[in-house]
Amino acid sequence: MRISDYIEQSCSNLWKMKLRTFLTIFGVVIGIGALVSMFAFGKGMQKNITDTFGDLGLMNYISVYPRSNNDFGRIITGDPDSPGYIPTEENYDKEVRLLDDDFVQQLVAVEGVEIAFPEIRFPAMVRFQDDEEFNIIQALPSDVCKSGFIKIREGSFYDTDMEESLLISDSLIQRLGVEDYKSAVGEQIEISTIAFDFSLENIPNILSFLQGDGLPFTSKNYKFTIAGVIERMGMSGPVPMRSDILIPSGISENMKKIPITNISDIFQNMKGTQGYSMVGVKLEDTQYIDSVKKWIEDSGFRTFALVDQLEEIKTVFIFMDVFLFAVGMIAITVASLGIINTLVMSILERYKEIGIMKAVGASDSDVKKIFLFEAGLIGFWGGVFGLILGWIVGILINLVANILLTRQGAPYMNYFRFPLWLCFGAIIFSILISLTAGIYPTIRAARVDPIVALRHD
Amino acid sequence: MKNDNLVVTKELSKVYSSGKIEIVALRDVNLSIKEGIFLGITGSSGSGKSTFVNLLGGLDTASSGTINVGGKFISELDKGELAHYRRHYVGMIFQSFNLISSYTALENVAFPLLFANVPKKERNKRSEEMLEKVGLQSRKEHRPSELSGGEQQRVAIARALINKPKILLADEPTGNVDSRTSSQIMQILSDLNQNQDLTVIMISHEESLLNEFADDIIHLSDGAIVDKESE
Repeated sequence: MRISDYIEQSCSNLWKMKLRTFLTIFGVVIGIGALVSMFAFGKGMQKNITDTFGDLGLMNYISVYPRSNNDFGRIITGDPDSPGYIPTEENYDKEVRLLDDDFVQQLVAVEGVEIAFPEIRFPAMVRFQDDEEFNIIQALPSDVCKSGFIKIREGSFYDTDMEESLLISDSLIQRLGVEDYKSAVGEQIEISTIAFDFSLENIPNILSFLQGDGLPFTSKNYKFTIAGVIERMGMSGPVPMRSDILIPSGISENMKKIPITNISDIFQNMKGTQGYSMVGVKLEDTQYIDSVKKWIEDSGFRTFALVDQLEEIKTVFIFMDVFLFAVGMIAITVASLGIINTLVMSILERYKEIGIMKAVGASDSDVKKIFLFEAGLIGFWGGVFGLILGWIVGILINLVANILLTRQGAPYMNYFRFPLWLCFGAIIFSILISLTAGIYPTIRAARVDPIVALRHD
Repeated sequence: MKNDNLVVTKELSKVYSSGKIEIVALRDVNLSIKEGIFLGITGSSGSGKSTFVNLLGGLDTASSGTINVGGKFISELDKGELAHYRRHYVGMIFQSFNLISSYTALENVAFPLLFANVPKKERNKRSEEMLEKVGLQSRKEHRPSELSGGEQQRVAIARALINKPKILLADEPTGNVDSRTSSQIMQILSDLNQNQDLTVIMISHEESLLNEFADDIIHLSDGAIVDKESE
C-alpha cells in the first residue's frame, strides 16, 4: 500500500466513528495541552530569571562582605566554609579588616572591575502627597544607576551625586496611592530620617532617654524631586538595588541618618567599627568572575556572585521540569489508555472487515500499518490541538497573572514561553505516544484469523 | 490448456485441535485440477468442502501434505508470500458476499487493488470496467445495503476478478439468492470459465447446478474424496 492510501484509509476509518474519534483526540488534546502549558511555564520562568540576570548585568556582579562569625565583630582569618573549621582564638585576627573606602579604591584598580560601590542604606519615612510609608532608602552613585543594573520605566536617572532628586520604584509609588506611575515624575517627595542627636537642641529627648523613657533621636525632613520611576528588582538578596528609593550618594553623605538596616549593623556600630556592610562590584565581563573573587577573598573578605546562584537555580529548574513532565505524563497516560480502548473497539467492530482485507490480499503488515496510521493520526491531531490548547491556557493564565501582579506593582512578564522545539516536540511526542499506545491493538488486528473473521457477523 | 494441472494436492490434511480433542476436517486429499476447468465440490455439512477451498485460497494452512498451484508449493509459503498469493493468484466469493458495508460498490471492487499498490486513478478505472462487465455500472455508488442479493454477489465477483486471478474460488455463491438470480450467477461464472479461461472451483449443495455447469464434480465426506465425476 502507498503512504497516501494508508492516510486516506485511516482518515476515512476515523471519520466513520466521528464521536469516538473526537473524544479520543480530545483526551490526547488535554494531555498534550497540560504537558505543553506546564513546560511552557517552566521555560518561561527560566527565561525570565536568566534574562533578568542578563539584562541587568547581574551575571557580572559580585557582592563583597566583611568576614565575621557569630561573635559580631571578631574577624576570622581562617576559612569558615572549609570542612572541619573550628573557630578558635587563633583564628581571630586582632585587627578588624573593614570594608572601607580604601578597599573600594583598591578594588576599582583590579583588572576586570568596572565599578565598585558601597551599599549605604538607612531607614526613613517617605511621604508623598497624603500617604506615607516607612522604608529603607539606598544611596547609589549616579554612574552605578546608569550602569545597566536598573531599568527605568518613566523619567530619567539623576545626573549627579549632588542633585536633590531620587528614583522611586513603580511598586512603592503605587503603594503611595498613585495609580499612574508616570504622573509621579517631577513631583516633590519628602523623606524624614532619624539620627542620634546629643546636641543642645535635643535636650528634652536626651533627658527623657536618661530617665529611661524614649530615645535621643531627632528627625530631619528632606525634599526631593522624583527624577524617574524604576522597575522594582524582582528579587531580594545580594543584588545591587535592594530598596524602593534610590538617592544620590553625595546628597546622602550630608543627610542626618542612622546607617543601620539590620541587627548586625547595630552590633557593628556598638563595637565602634565603621566599615560598610556590603560592597557591590560590577565586572567588565563574566570571564573576570573567578580572578576578582579570588583577589577579594585573598584580601580577607567574603564574596557572593549571583552567577553561582544561577547554577543552583538551574538545578532547581531541572527538578521543576521533571516534576512538570511527570504531572503531564499522568494526563498522557490516561489519553494513551483512551487510544488503546478506541483502537481495540475499532478492531472488534471491524473484525469482519479485517478478515475481508486478508482474504483479498492484505498482509499482516498492511493491517498493522492501517491501525498504526489511525493511532498516528489521533496523535497528530491531538498534538496539534493540544499545542493550541496549551497556548490558549498559557495566554489566559498570563493575562490573569499579569492583571493581578501588576496591580501589586510587579512589572509585566511573560510567564509562558513556547520555543519552536516545544511546539514541534509536542506534536512528535504526541504521535510517538499514540503509536506506542497503538502497538497492542495493531498486533491484535494482525493476528485476526481471516476464516473466523469472515464467518463473524 | 485444460490438459495442464494447475492445482495438485498430495496427502492434504487439516486437523483442528480444541483442547485434547482433535477434529479431522480434511483427510489425505489427493487431487489434480486442470487449468481452465470448472470444478464443482459437493458434500454434506462438515464434510470439509470449505476447509479445502480455504486451503487452496491460502486463508488457512495445511496440517500435513502439500498444495502445488502453478508449480508453487503454497503450503510452504510464509505469511507475507501467502498474502501475495491471495492477492494475485486467487479470487474468492462467498455465500454471504462479504462486502464492506460502509463502502460503495465501486470501493468494494477497488479494495484488493489497494494492497497491490495500484494508484487511485487506475483503481477506479479498472473497477468501473469490472462493474460494467458484471452489469452494475449504474449501481457503482450504491452501498451493499442498497443492492439486491444477486447484485451484491456480482459486486463480489467483480472484486474477486479485479486482480486478474488464475483461480476463482466460490464457496456456496448461490446459497443466499433466489433460483433466478442463482442461474444468472452461474451463467456469469460459466462465461468467465469458458471465455476467459478462468479456473473455477465452486462449492455447492445444489448438485443440479453443478451438473449443469461444472466439468468435474467431487464429493467430499468426512474430509475425504468419496467420488469423482467427469462430464
